[in-house]
Amino acid sequence: MVVMPIIQTRQLRKVFRSVRRIPGALGAVRTLFSRDYVDRVAVEGMTLSIEEGELVGYIGPNGAGKSTTIKMLTGILVPTSGDATVAGLVPWQQRQRNARNIGVVFGQRSQLYWDLPLIESFELLRAIYGASADRYRQNLDHFTEILEMHEFLNTPVRQLSLGQRMRGDFAAAMLHDPRIVYLDEPTIGLDVVAKEAIRNFVSEVNRERGTTIVLTTHDLSDVERLSRRIVLIDHGSLVYDGTIERLKDQYGTHRTLVVRLAEAYPEVKVDGAEVVGRDGDVVRLRFDRGAFGADQLIRRVTESYCVTDVSIEEPDLESIIRRIYIEGYEPTLTPRAEILPHAVS
Amino acid sequence: MNAAAPYLEFARKAFSREATYRVEVFTSVGSFVLRVYLLRSVWTALYAQNAAPAGIPLHAMITYTTVALLMSLVLEVDGTRMIREKVREGTIAVDLMKPISLPLYFFSDGFGQTLWNALLILPSLACALVLVRIDLPSLPALIGFALAFALGYGVNFFLNFLMNAVAFWTLETFAIQLMVRWVSDLLSGQILPLSLFPGALGKVVGALPFASIYSTPLQIYIGQLSGYAVFPALLTQVAWLIAFAAISAAVWQQAQRRVIVQGG
Repeated sequence: MVVMPIIQTRQLRKVFRSVRRIPGALGAVRTLFSRDYVDRVAVEGMTLSIEEGELVGYIGPNGAGKSTTIKMLTGILVPTSGDATVAGLVPWQQRQRNARNIGVVFGQRSQLYWDLPLIESFELLRAIYGASADRYRQNLDHFTEILEMHEFLNTPVRQLSLGQRMRGDFAAAMLHDPRIVYLDEPTIGLDVVAKEAIRNFVSEVNRERGTTIVLTTHDLSDVERLSRRIVLIDHGSLVYDGTIERLKDQYGTHRTLVVRLAEAYPEVKVDGAEVVGRDGDVVRLRFDRGAFGADQLIRRVTESYCVTDVSIEEPDLESIIRRIYIEGYEPTLTPRAEILPHAVS
Repeated sequence: MNAAAPYLEFARKAFSREATYRVEVFTSVGSFVLRVYLLRSVWTALYAQNAAPAGIPLHAMITYTTVALLMSLVLEVDGTRMIREKVREGTIAVDLMKPISLPLYFFSDGFGQTLWNALLILPSLACALVLVRIDLPSLPALIGFALAFALGYGVNFFLNFLMNAVAFWTLETFAIQLMVRWVSDLLSGQILPLSLFPGALGKVVGALPFASIYSTPLQIYIGQLSGYAVFPALLTQVAWLIAFAAISAAVWQQAQRRVIVQGG
């Protein structure tokens, strides 16, 4: 039997159409009667497949089409063309059935009921999903434990801090044992401790329960910490789909050697490396890691200069992705066909 | 776990949510009593000048307006108002990601609020009885009234639903709400018995759906409609209920397809 990917999209496309605004006060009135439309392509030709149990980072700048894609996959937005199945269902045709399979967490929008104590939101969700009392109890106890929700279970949601509310939202999204969970900017605005708690939770749910997780975020440290595979989109189109390491291999061709000098040299020059920054006695040298190893460079530096400390900076995901947004992805580096198929097995 | 469970839970939660606003009990009973007093004064003064209009004696008129006010305690609950807020704030997206029917959710939430407000009828009535005497109808009339009231409640729900569903297209419905509210207050018979409208106008107004909400139950209550005349009136309500439900279903289908969540 062929195992179907749990999420599969083919040439998914969404165009938003709005009336063209005519400027000026009179223009506002004319806008009312205008038949002049502007089309904005939010998602273009999105073909993607995600296997059950994967944890995929879905990355893109603001307005790249991330949320639009998620909305189509959750069944609340009908695509202009193309198709998609989520756990065998077409989400926008079978919204309610699809909803049983999924859990959703929005960093900026709570699904908890504002005036109710947290625990009552959970009870309401149990009724909504028709979860069995035993299973619900078990999940609730477990989540209360690992998300440390004891102290605020009986507090009305509107009185919770952001970190507490997010933990509540995570539990709420997972109480009914969804097969797929979409996380949309889940750690936005959280402090380091809360972020870490959330990441541990996500990682555990993915590992222990085999829940498929699609993580949309700006915070690349979330992605680096949690997922191996990333899907990068820009201007509505898929730019890269593969592992983080592979992206780093292709793009992070340069490493940086940071050297602390023992004496004040007026000028620093090293063969094969470029000085990319100097701050007092700290010099940053960028070098092509394909050309030679760090040990070689260190030897060259120490031959000519007296050094107290060295360290190496690996290219970070953020700078790589920033470069891709600015320069575009270079398929010439590696044939794209090699990257596209599921790089993570 | 049966399919109705989530909706019962919504109604329960709405009920207990309303119950947390305790001060509102006093303000709504207080304003109710004030309105009963004002209307009694107005009608008594008017009747002192003229003979009974449309053959309605003063005690029947006071009964009519007082019962209308009692009904409004329940009918002014609008469970669908949250559509507007949810569309504007984009939280409707979160609700659509749940395996529930949103119209049923709005209805059950509104129904929970209604039940709470229905409890207010008792103290309101008790206070009102200090000021006014109201007639009690015969048992068949009371049953007819209850039936007509339930049907009117349904028509009122769908009317509210349709008004609030406009938010899916314009995101701003305040002006429409206000307009429909004024028209409905006047044409539903909440303020005046519709039999006071002259001739042809009265016929037209009586045939409109608004009449199903207040006028039909109240006419049965004060005995303007009795015997076999009650049945065509109830059937008219049923017809409006079905028509409004059908329109609402169609509008909801369209609205769902249109969900464009602001932001994101």
